[in-house]
Amino acid sequence: MRSTPMIYCRRSVEILDAKTKDKLCFLDKVRTYTISFHHDPQWYPARQSIRLDPKGKSLKDEDVLQHLPVGTTATFYFRDLGAQISWVTVFLTEYTGPLVIYLMFYFRVPFIYAPKYDFTTSKHWVVHLACMCHSFHYVKRLLETLFVHRFSHGTMPLRNIFKNCTYYWGFAAWMAYYINHPLYTPPIYGEQQIRLALIVFLFCQIGNFSIHVALRNLRPPGSKTRKIPYPTKNPFTWIFLLVSCPNYTYELGSWLGFTLMTQCLPVAFFTLVGFIQMTVWAKGKHRSYLKEFRDYPPLRSPILPFVL
Amino acid sequence: MLSKAAHGDVAAKKKKGPGALATAYLVIYNVVMTAGWLVIAVGLVRAYLARGSYHGLYYSIEKPLKFFQTGAILEVLSRVFLTWAVTHSVREVQSEDSVLLFVTAWTVTEIIRYSFYTFSLLNHLPYLIKWARYTFFIVLYPMGVTGELLTIYAALPYVQKTGLYSVTLPNKYNFSFDYYTFLILIMISYIPLFPQLYFHMIRQRKKVLGHAEDYSKVE
Repeated sequence: MRSTPMIYCRRSVEILDAKTKDKLCFLDKVRTYTISFHHDPQWYPARQSIRLDPKGKSLKDEDVLQHLPVGTTATFYFRDLGAQISWVTVFLTEYTGPLVIYLMFYFRVPFIYAPKYDFTTSKHWVVHLACMCHSFHYVKRLLETLFVHRFSHGTMPLRNIFKNCTYYWGFAAWMAYYINHPLYTPPIYGEQQIRLALIVFLFCQIGNFSIHVALRNLRPPGSKTRKIPYPTKNPFTWIFLLVSCPNYTYELGSWLGFTLMTQCLPVAFFTLVGFIQMTVWAKGKHRSYLKEFRDYPPLRSPILPFVL
Repeated sequence: MLSKAAHGDVAAKKKKGPGALATAYLVIYNVVMTAGWLVIAVGLVRAYLARGSYHGLYYSIEKPLKFFQTGAILEVLSRVFLTWAVTHSVREVQSEDSVLLFVTAWTVTEIIRYSFYTFSLLNHLPYLIKWARYTFFIVLYPMGVTGELLTIYAALPYVQKTGLYSVTLPNKYNFSFDYYTFLILIMISYIPLFPQLYFHMIRQRKKVLGHAEDYSKVE
C-alpha cells in the first residue's frame, strides 16, 4: 500500500489543493509522521498525489522531507488521481478476454457463423496451429503477470481497464472471426510459409520471455530500483546490445510471425497498431534511460536496431 | 478529330448534372477552409508584431484555433464522408432533395462561422454575428443532420444491390467489409453524437449570449 512522505525533523507542513489552492491541512512542529488522508476511505493512498509544485511530478513514497527543497514551512500540493485499479488486475482481465474469445470462435460457438457450422472444426491444420499459438501467447502473458513481472507503479486510473479491454478483446474477436471462418483461405505458399512463420513466432516468444526474466532479475524483490539492462548468458538477451526495449522487438516479431502464419489482414492490422503503440512506449523508455544514466550505451536504439 | 470532339461532348454532358452539386460544394468548402486558416495566420502575424517575439504566440490564436478544431473535427469528418463516400460515390443520390438540404445547412453555417472567427480575431465582433452564430444553429444543425441521414438512407438500396466498396469472403487476405452495414452503423452513431454536439452549443449559447443580455439589462 502506498504511503505518503515520511517526515523526520521538526518543521511545519501545510497541504494545499493543487487546483483550488485551498488549505487542506496544517501540521505544526512535525517530528516523525506519515501523512495520508484516512478520514474518508474513498481517498485511499494510491489515488493521492502529493507534489511540491501544483503542475509538477508526484513525490514518491520513499521521499524524505528533510531532503526536499523546502523551507521551515513545507508547502505540498494535493491532487486526486481518480479511482485506481491495480496493474495486475488490469493485465489479468485484458489477457483472459482474448484467450476465451478466440476459443469461442475456434469452437464455432452458435450465433457467430451460419448455423450449419455450429460446433464444427476447420479442415485446415494451420487453423488448429494458429489457435494453439494464440492461446499459448496469452497463457504466457497471464503467467508472466502473476510470476515474472515486477511493477514500478502499483496502480493505474480505472478508466484504463475499459480502454485496454476494448482494444484487446475487440481485436481478438475481429482476428478470430476470420481465421476460424468456414471460408478461410490458408496461406498461399502453404507448408513452407507456415513452417517459417511458426519458427519466427516461437523464436520471438522465447526471446520475449527471456527479456522479461532478465528485467525481473535486475530488480531485487520488493524494490523499485532502476538499472541499465545488459546482455546475460542467455543468447536471446544479446539483443540488449542494439536495443533498449527488446521485449517490444520480440513482441513485434511474434505478431509478424502470426500474420505470416494466418495470412489474415486483420492480424496485420493488429500487428501494425501494436507496433505503433510499442514504438511510442519504447521511445519514452529510451529517453528516460538516457536522462537517468550518463553512461547509457550509445549504440542502442529504442525498438528496432539502428532504425527506430 | 470530329469523333474526338463528339466524344468529348458526350463526356461533358454526362458529367454536368450529377457531378455539379458535389463539385460546387467542394469549391465553397475549400475556399472557406482557406479563409479560415488565413484568418488564423493573420492573427499569428498580428500577435507577433504586437509582442515582438514568438513568446505567447500560441495563446493569441488559441481560442479561435480551439473552436476551429474541437467541434469541427467531427463536422469535418462527417462532411468529408458525406461528400466523398456517399454523395459522390452513389450517383443516384445526387439529385435527391436531402442533398440540397444538408449542403444549404452547411453553407449557411460555415459562412456565419468563419465571419465570426474573422471578426473575433480582428477584435471587432458585431453582436449580430455573434448572435447569428449562436442562434442559427438551432435550426441549421437539425436541418443538416436530417439531410445527411436521409442521403445515407437513400444510398442504402443502391449500395446493397451493387456491393459498393464491399469485400466478401473467400479471398486470400481473409478479410471482409460490408459497406451497407457500415453505413447503418454510421447512421446509428448519430444518435449519441448529435445530441451531445447540439446541447453543447445550447450551453455555449447561454454562456455567451446570456452575459450580453445581463449587460443590456443593466444599461
